[in-house]
Amino acid sequence: MIFRTLLAATTMLVGAGLAAQAQDYPDHELQGIIMWGAGGATDVVAHAVTPAAEEALGQSIVLVNRPGGTGAISTAFVSAAPADGYTILYGAENPQLHGVMGLSEIDYADFYPVNILGRGVGVVVARADAPWNSFSELVADANERPGEIKMGSTGPGGIPFVVNAMLNAVAPYEVTAVPFDGEGPALTALQGGHVDFIPSGISAAAELIRAGKVKPLAVINTEPVEQLPNVPAITDEYPEMEKYLPWGPFYGVFVRQDVPEEAKTALVEAFDTAASSEDFVELMKNRGNIVMNISGDEAREFLDDWQSTTTWLLQEAGETKVSPEDLGIPKP
Amino acid sequence: MFQDVGYFLMAWTDPSLLLLTALGTLAGVYVGAIPGLSVTMAVSILISFTFKWDVNDALALIAGVYLGGVYGGSRTAILLNIPGAPSAIATALDGYPLAQRGEAGRAIGVTTVMSVVGGFVGIAALAVGAPLISSFALMFDSRDYLLLAIIGMLLVGSLSSGSLAKGIFAGALGVLIGMIGLDPMTAQGRFTFGTIAMMNGISYIAAMIGLFGVAEALVQIHHLDKTAIRQKASSFLPDWGLVRRYLPLSLRSSAIGVVIGALPGTGGDVAALMAYDQARRSVKKPSRPFGTGAYEGLVAPESANNAAVGGAYIPMLTLGIPGDAVTAIIIGSLYIHGLKPGPLLMVETPHLFWFTVGCLTLANIFLLVFGLTGIRVFSKIVELPKGILIPLIIVLSAVGTYAVGNNPVDVYMMLGFGVLGYFMRMYGYPVGPVVLGIILGPLMDASFRRAMISERHMVGEFLLGFVTHPVSLVLTLFLAFIVLSQTPLFGMLKRQADRASRS
Repeated sequence: MIFRTLLAATTMLVGAGLAAQAQDYPDHELQGIIMWGAGGATDVVAHAVTPAAEEALGQSIVLVNRPGGTGAISTAFVSAAPADGYTILYGAENPQLHGVMGLSEIDYADFYPVNILGRGVGVVVARADAPWNSFSELVADANERPGEIKMGSTGPGGIPFVVNAMLNAVAPYEVTAVPFDGEGPALTALQGGHVDFIPSGISAAAELIRAGKVKPLAVINTEPVEQLPNVPAITDEYPEMEKYLPWGPFYGVFVRQDVPEEAKTALVEAFDTAASSEDFVELMKNRGNIVMNISGDEAREFLDDWQSTTTWLLQEAGETKVSPEDLGIPKP
Repeated sequence: MFQDVGYFLMAWTDPSLLLLTALGTLAGVYVGAIPGLSVTMAVSILISFTFKWDVNDALALIAGVYLGGVYGGSRTAILLNIPGAPSAIATALDGYPLAQRGEAGRAIGVTTVMSVVGGFVGIAALAVGAPLISSFALMFDSRDYLLLAIIGMLLVGSLSSGSLAKGIFAGALGVLIGMIGLDPMTAQGRFTFGTIAMMNGISYIAAMIGLFGVAEALVQIHHLDKTAIRQKASSFLPDWGLVRRYLPLSLRSSAIGVVIGALPGTGGDVAALMAYDQARRSVKKPSRPFGTGAYEGLVAPESANNAAVGGAYIPMLTLGIPGDAVTAIIIGSLYIHGLKPGPLLMVETPHLFWFTVGCLTLANIFLLVFGLTGIRVFSKIVELPKGILIPLIIVLSAVGTYAVGNNPVDVYMMLGFGVLGYFMRMYGYPVGPVVLGIILGPLMDASFRRAMISERHMVGEFLLGFVTHPVSLVLTLFLAFIVLSQTPLFGMLKRQADRASRS
């Protein structure tokens, strides 16, 4: 098995060498900086998309995790690296909130979006033995006993936090938000009955839903998603939610804004091929994510919309340290 | 049933899987033994080049590296007073004095056998009790993690050999260092001075490598002219009597290891420290006083940290929840291999469970082989000229620290901790409590606040929870027992009871 892999790798390298002669960029290996740690969602997506991109580029991409500061360490590192297109960033949505959270002045406006690979969808999940069968039942119960229902969260700016702020804007209710270190630990607490519900990302919760360990109430989307066909869209009960959607965590590949055009074009092409590869599409589907595969102006528009929707939502919830207005982020 | 046996034996009968497990174990032992290079780092590097492999090949290799690496940390802890991995911090306390007595070979022999015993207990717990233990682990609430952290903090007493006041100071310093970085609840920067470099907090691996590795190297400079202690060339294979004598302690420690390993959020490092503490409290007549070369001080942490490996696999395989940092990385790699880690993993890919158990069993057997061979050569490290050894330790410390987060800032911090550790050692402050504080401080901070938020900041209900929830009640009683047993009152009651039973 391994010998076969090695053989395949050698053939690939030889082939890659030949292909590389036809163009100037890339003429040596690239470094891929991953925003989050090994085993995290961004890491998995990065490792899944890279092999096909390497093949298309004809050079290898050395992947390095640089976690920390909810992503601020990786954005600072890539910004400080030479703008030659040899240092690329595999990032998630977090930098778009760094400005309003007062964490860093660098966000995706400083980067060129090579490819927004895909996005996740939110899903509200409750304890398996919870009395509610729809989100409106949860809201009604929460209004009857304000503050008694416990919501698992991941701190300001996280998926549960933002989804909760959206839901609260259309259907006011009062719950106690208990912050955890991430969606994984929060979902663990949900299974142990230590919290009552979580507006989670679908990729973390999909397997638990399938196994019946947690009860899905609604997906945060305008229509049901492929992985959970029986879970109603939140807009069925709360049509006003539509103004925030589509919303979800996203994963993308970025380089510095001032990278030469030639490199940008080569990277966009390579990642476009990689994001349509069968392996990658399969992995994204398995994780409950939606493949987007957009770049250039289309990606820029998506990033700007996302930032405007989310930061102003946080602003209205009183959870920002710097107003989006001061950062020049337009109101949605 | 027969099918399960078949899956179990898969790694035993396929020569390439057998070879990979063996290679993994061997590599693990040496990576673990090199100060600075940690198991988590080794596994994350290995995983990224096994992405293109068959999933079984990758899992066999990882099982070997994981088990071997956790064990390997004890080597340098015993020989050089530098724990090769966080889970070997407690091992150095009694292991290094043994090496100074010239008994390093025997110490490594005992450690090896007891690590293997611990490993088997962990694997047995995984094979037999996985569903039960994982649902038990789910019962732990924030309040229970708080209690565990408090019980862990009491270890400061066991870790400070000289003055307790200095130990408490060191522990408090550790907790303070652990507070640096983004607040886990609100993402507010604490002691970061507005720099991005400090946002991530201070990696406890960097602190550990500096405080133990570099500090030890600096201290050794004082002894450049001293000749190395010649190690006794006695048999390394511990005799049966010795094994039988320590077996009950080993089994007790392994039980602690399995539970702490299975809890999401605590791993082999905490397990080993707790087991060491338990040994200090429960062993009445150790072979020598603890801290001066007691074999019990080796047996307890080394059984526990290897048992924690099996424990960490329990929630991973049954629920898709990582039991520690290494299993978190393995879960990520299962996704890349097209599997779906979660509660249905055992239903949809039933071979995975028994295959993993088989690999771990095999790796544990290899561990016995690789652990007991090569001790003689390894013990020679102590006899190396200091002029070669000291620079080597510092270089490896720098490499290992960089590899943890690929961050040069960690290396500078590590060197700073080295200097701090040197002065602490010179003035009689123990460094163990500092690392303990860095590990447990944040756990205590987050758990306490999470528990308070859960009770909506009502102190009454928060306190009531300690006695009304079964897990909390047991932990509270245990905590109360530990504290009370150290007071004069307890000794008085005990003497009275003894007198009463005699008359």
